[in-house]
Amino acid sequence: MPDFTLISAPPLAGYSASFGDIKLSAPKDLAIVSIALPLGGEDSAKAAIKSAFGIDLPEVGTSATTGDDATALMRLGVDQAFVLFACATPDAERQIAAKLNGAVYTTDQTDAWCSLEISGPGARRALERICPVDLHPDAFAVSAVARTIMEHMGAIIARTDEDTFLLLSASSSAKSFLHAVELSAKNVT
Amino acid sequence: MSQVNRIKGGLVNRSKALNFTFNGKSMQGYVGDTLASALLANGQVLVGRSFKYHRPRGILTAGSEEPNALVQLRSGAAQEPNTRATVAELFDGLTATSQNHRGSLEFDLMAATDMVSPFLAAGFYYKTFMWPAAFWEKFYEPVIRNSAGLGRLSMEEDPDTYDKGFLHCDLLVIGAGPSGLSAALTAARTGARVILADEDFAPGGRLNSETFEVDGMAGADWAAQTVAELASMDNVRLMTRTTVYGAFDHGIYGALERCTDHLPGAGGKPRQVLWRIYSKRAVLAAGATERPIAFGNNDRPGIMLASAVRTYVNRFGVTPGQKVAVLTNNDDGWRTASDLAAKGVEVVAVIDTRNRPAVCDVPGARHIRGAGVVDTAGRKALKRITLTDGQMIDVDCLAVSGGWNPAVHLTCHQRGRPVWNEQIAAFVPGENLPAGMVVAGAAGGALTLAAALGEGARMATSQVQDLGFDASAQAAPKAEDEAYEGEPKWHIPSGKKRAWVDFQNDVTVKDIKMSHREGFKSVEHLKRYTTTGMATDQGKTSNMSALAIMAECTGKSIPETGTTIFRPPYTPVPMGALAGRARGTDFRPYRLTPSHEWATKHGATFVEVGNWLRAQWFVKGNEAGWRDSVDREVLNTRNSVGICDVTTLGKIDIQGKDAAEFLNKVYANAFAKLAVGRVRYGIMLREDGICYDDGTTARMAENHFVMTTTTANAVLVFRRMEFVRQCLYPDLDVHMISTTDAWAQFAVAGPNARKLLTKIVDADSQDMSNEGFPFMACGEITVCGGTPGRLFRISFSGELAYEIAVPARYGNSLMEALMKAGEEFGACPYGTEALSVMRIEKGHAAGNELDGRTTAHMLGMGGMVSKKKDCIGKILSQRPEMNREDAERLVGFRPVDRSQKLIAGSHFINKGDDATMANDQGWMTSVAWSPSLDHSVGLGFIKSGHTRMGEIVRAVSPLHNTEMEVEIVSAHFIDPEGERLRA
Repeated sequence: MPDFTLISAPPLAGYSASFGDIKLSAPKDLAIVSIALPLGGEDSAKAAIKSAFGIDLPEVGTSATTGDDATALMRLGVDQAFVLFACATPDAERQIAAKLNGAVYTTDQTDAWCSLEISGPGARRALERICPVDLHPDAFAVSAVARTIMEHMGAIIARTDEDTFLLLSASSSAKSFLHAVELSAKNVT
Repeated sequence: MSQVNRIKGGLVNRSKALNFTFNGKSMQGYVGDTLASALLANGQVLVGRSFKYHRPRGILTAGSEEPNALVQLRSGAAQEPNTRATVAELFDGLTATSQNHRGSLEFDLMAATDMVSPFLAAGFYYKTFMWPAAFWEKFYEPVIRNSAGLGRLSMEEDPDTYDKGFLHCDLLVIGAGPSGLSAALTAARTGARVILADEDFAPGGRLNSETFEVDGMAGADWAAQTVAELASMDNVRLMTRTTVYGAFDHGIYGALERCTDHLPGAGGKPRQVLWRIYSKRAVLAAGATERPIAFGNNDRPGIMLASAVRTYVNRFGVTPGQKVAVLTNNDDGWRTASDLAAKGVEVVAVIDTRNRPAVCDVPGARHIRGAGVVDTAGRKALKRITLTDGQMIDVDCLAVSGGWNPAVHLTCHQRGRPVWNEQIAAFVPGENLPAGMVVAGAAGGALTLAAALGEGARMATSQVQDLGFDASAQAAPKAEDEAYEGEPKWHIPSGKKRAWVDFQNDVTVKDIKMSHREGFKSVEHLKRYTTTGMATDQGKTSNMSALAIMAECTGKSIPETGTTIFRPPYTPVPMGALAGRARGTDFRPYRLTPSHEWATKHGATFVEVGNWLRAQWFVKGNEAGWRDSVDREVLNTRNSVGICDVTTLGKIDIQGKDAAEFLNKVYANAFAKLAVGRVRYGIMLREDGICYDDGTTARMAENHFVMTTTTANAVLVFRRMEFVRQCLYPDLDVHMISTTDAWAQFAVAGPNARKLLTKIVDADSQDMSNEGFPFMACGEITVCGGTPGRLFRISFSGELAYEIAVPARYGNSLMEALMKAGEEFGACPYGTEALSVMRIEKGHAAGNELDGRTTAHMLGMGGMVSKKKDCIGKILSQRPEMNREDAERLVGFRPVDRSQKLIAGSHFINKGDDATMANDQGWMTSVAWSPSLDHSVGLGFIKSGHTRMGEIVRAVSPLHNTEMEVEIVSAHFIDPEGERLRA
C-alpha cells in the first residue's frame, strides 16, 4: 500500500446545467488519444485503424463512430486524428497504442483538453455568440469537425447530432471556456 | 399636454398608449411611435440646443441622419447622451431630457454665444486661443470643453451588458425598404440563405412613409405581407433594429443589433449585440437621404425635411404643424403638400425654386414658382417665413426638399469613390465596390418606386444565380414610377442672414465661404477647417451641400471638387458594444496551473505570465513583505528542498522516424545522438542567427522526444516548428502535438529532493540512486502506487533537482502528496520569484537574456552551435560581426559596496568615462537579491566580459538617476562547478 494516493480532478468534472432549451454538460471520463499517420506508412496505418475499430479513418474535417458508439475518430488533419472514448484510468494512450500496434504514433491528449457538450434546440443560437464557424446543417452537418477560436481560446467543435455539439478547448483555461459557453447560453435563453 | 398634433391614420397602435416624460413633463404616445413622433404629437417642437451657438432646435428628419434632435435617454448609470429622438423607439416609462443647455431648454444661458456669433466663425479657435501659450491647457481648453460637448456621460459604470456574435449567409440584404424587401424575397424564394437587416423597428423603409401602392395594395401593407412571408422561411434571418455599420474585407460586414433599447429594461440580457456577418454576396439597399436647402435662419424648430413630414403624417399619424408651407426644388416636395392636404392639414403655400407649372393640385395652397425662402422668424418655434420677393407668410412648419443623396457610405468603406450623376444631381456608387456587393434602389440612384422594386429583384437574382441558385421566373413586385424631376438648389442667397449647412456642428454657408477665402479649398481641408460633417451624424444631411457651395466658390464642378472619405461606422456604435462581453475578470481568458487550488489555499500571491496565473510567492506566518517570503523560499530550497509548479513551460510531443534529424535542424546543438533516457539542453536560432528560445528535450524512446520550451514562447516555438515540418522539410517523418496542458509538472529542488521523491516514485518503476538516475536522465515512471508519470533530472536552480510530471488531472493531488512527503524535510513551495532568484544565482539565461537581440556567442554558448551539422540560423550566425571578440558577453556583476542594490537596465560605463551612448559598454539584464550570498547579484552583457573578471565598472541608470560601481564576476554565483546538481 503506497503512502500516498492521487485523486483525479479534471477541470470540469461533473458539470451539468440547463439554460432554457439548452443543456450543457461535461462528458464523463472522456479520454482523448491523438494518432499521427507515419509519412509513407499511411496505408498500413489506415488498415490498422480499420481493423482496430471496424471503421475507416474519416475524411479531414469529419468524425465517425464505431458500430457500438463507444469510440469516435475525429480527423483533424491529413496526418492527425483523435480517438475519443470513455476511460476513467490514465492509460488511454496505452490502450490505443496496443490496438494499433505501432502502425501510428500515439499521444495522450486526455488532460490537454476540457470538453463540454452543448445540446438542445437553442444550442446553435448560443454558439453563434462565440463560434465563428458556420454551423448551418448545410455547411456543418452531423459528424463535421472544425478547429477554430472561441473567445480567444483555441477550440475544436464537432457536431455529434442534429442539435448536439462537442466542444474541446485547452484544459488550463477550462474556467474561462466554461464561462464563455455558459454566458452564451444565458444570453440567448 | 395632450397629443394636439395627432391626426388620423398611420401605423401606430392607438389601442396601446405609452406614457413617457420629456424634461420631466408627462406625455403620451402609442406603440409604434418614435420619441420624435411622440414629441411632435404632443406639440413639443423645441427639443434641443445647437452645439456651438446654443440655438433652439427642433426635429429635422425622421431617421438615423438626424443632426438636431439629440437627447439623453434614461437616467442614473443607464443615462445615454446624444441619442437621436428620431430612431428612439417609444416605450412605457421612457424618460428623455434635452441636452446642451445651462438653465432650462427654453431659457438657455449659453444662448448668449449666439449673440457674439460674428466672433465665433469657423477657424475662430485656431486663431484666438494661440496666446499666451500657457493659457491653453489651464484656461482655454477647460472652458471650451465645459461649454461644448452636447450630452453628458453618467460617469458611472455601464450597468448594461453587451455581446457579439457571428452570422453567415449566402446573401446579405442591407436595408428593408422597397428594393431591399424585393431583393430579399427574390433571393429567399430560391432557397438561398438570406439575412435582411434594417435599422428601423418596422421594416418597409419609405413604403411606410408614402402612399404608394405595390401589387395593388398599400405599400405599407405590401411591406408587412412581404415581411411575414420572409419571417416564415427557415432560410431567412430577419434582423430589425440592426444597423449594418461597416463593409470589411472578404464580404464581412459589421452590424449592431439593438436588442433591448426599446424595452423599459434589458432583463439581464445583452442590450446590444455586435454581429460579424460573413456573406457570400450582398445587396446594398440602404436608400437615400433627403437634403435640405440652406437659406437664412433655416434652423428654427418647425423647419423639416419634406420627406420627414410625410413620414410623420403617413406613418405616425402626426402632423408637425397646423399651417404648413413647402419649399422644394423637385417634384417630391409636392407630394408632401398633397399628402398633408389629404389628411386635412392646412397647406398655405408650395414654394418651388423652379419656374414651372404646378406638379399637382394642392387644395388651398398657393403655388409660388421660381422663388425661395430668405429668412424666418420665431425664436423657439417657426412663426413666419420671408420669401425672395419680400412677402411674408405665417406658418408653423416649413417642409424643405432639396433632392436626394443616395446612401453610398458602405460602397466607399474600402476606399471606393462615388461618381457624380448629373440626372439626379447626386453622387452614386462608383465601380470599385467591396467584393461581392451590388447596389439596388435609391442607394444606387434609382429614386422611384418601380425602379427600386425592379432593381432589388434583378440584383438579387444575379447575385444568387452567381452562387448557383435557380432564380428564373420571378417577377418583380409591380408599382408605378412616381414623377421625380428636380433642379439642384443648394442654398438661397439670404443677405447677411446665417444659413445653416451642418446643423449638428453649427456650420453656415458663410463659414464655407470663409474657408474658401482663407485657402482651405479642398474638401478635406474644408471639413477640418469648418468641422462640417465631423459630428456624430457624419454630415449625412450636410456634406453634399457643403461641397456644392465650395464648388460654387471655386468655380469648379461638384465632381471636380469631390467628396471626403466615408469610413465605418455608418451610425455611432457604443463603446460598450465594441467591448462586448470582454469586461472585468473575463476581459481575456486566464489559464490556471494544475496546483492552483492548492496554491490558493496556501497563501500564494499570483502573477500574470501571459494568460497564466502563476504563484509568485507563498506568504507564511508573519512575513511582512514579499522579500521575506522569497528569501525564505530560496534558502529553504537550497538548504533542504522546495517544490515549484512548472507546468506552464511549453511541452511538445515529437514523434517519427526522422524526429531526431528534425531536432538537429531546429536546435543549434546536436540531438541526433542523444541516448534514449537522456535529456539535453538546447538553443534555437532564428534564420538570422539570433538566439530564439532555449529549453530541454528528452528522448523517451528511439522515435519519441518530449521538448520543453519557455513559457512565453510555447506557442511561437510550436508554430515555427510546424512551419519547418510542413514547409521546409516535408520529407521528414515527424509529428508534433502540444502536451503543455496534458501534464502537471513540478520542479523538486534541493539537497533533499531525491529523498523526497523516493517516497513518491514507485520503487519498482525507477532506480532513484545517482547512478540509476543521474543528472540529465529521464524516464517513464509510476507514482503513488501506479499512476503513470515522467521524471526528468534537470535543474534550473542549480540544486540537485528533478521535474516530475503526472497527467494534469492528478496535479493538485500530487502537489499535496509532495508537500506531505516533504514534511519531514521541511519542504516548502516556491513561486516564480524564488525560481528567478535561483536561476540568476546560478547564472542561467532566461527571457531577459534571450531578448531577440542576443547571439549564442554573446550568451557564452557559441560553441554549442554545432560545426558538424546544419541547423536553422547557422549560416547567418557565422557572420563576422556577430562573432566579434569584443562583443558583449554574458557575465555576472556584484556591487562593490555590497549593501547597494543593482538595477536591471543599467548601462555599463568604464571608470573615468562620461556616461554617454558612445561610451556604452553593455547593459544589466537581470538582478536579484541573493539570500544565499546576502548581497545583490546581477547578470548582464558587457564588451569582452569573459576577459574582464574582477574589473570594476560603473552601472549607470539615467532612468533612475543612479550610478554605482560594480565588479565583473562569473555568472555562476552558486556552485560554479555544478557539484550540487550532480550530487
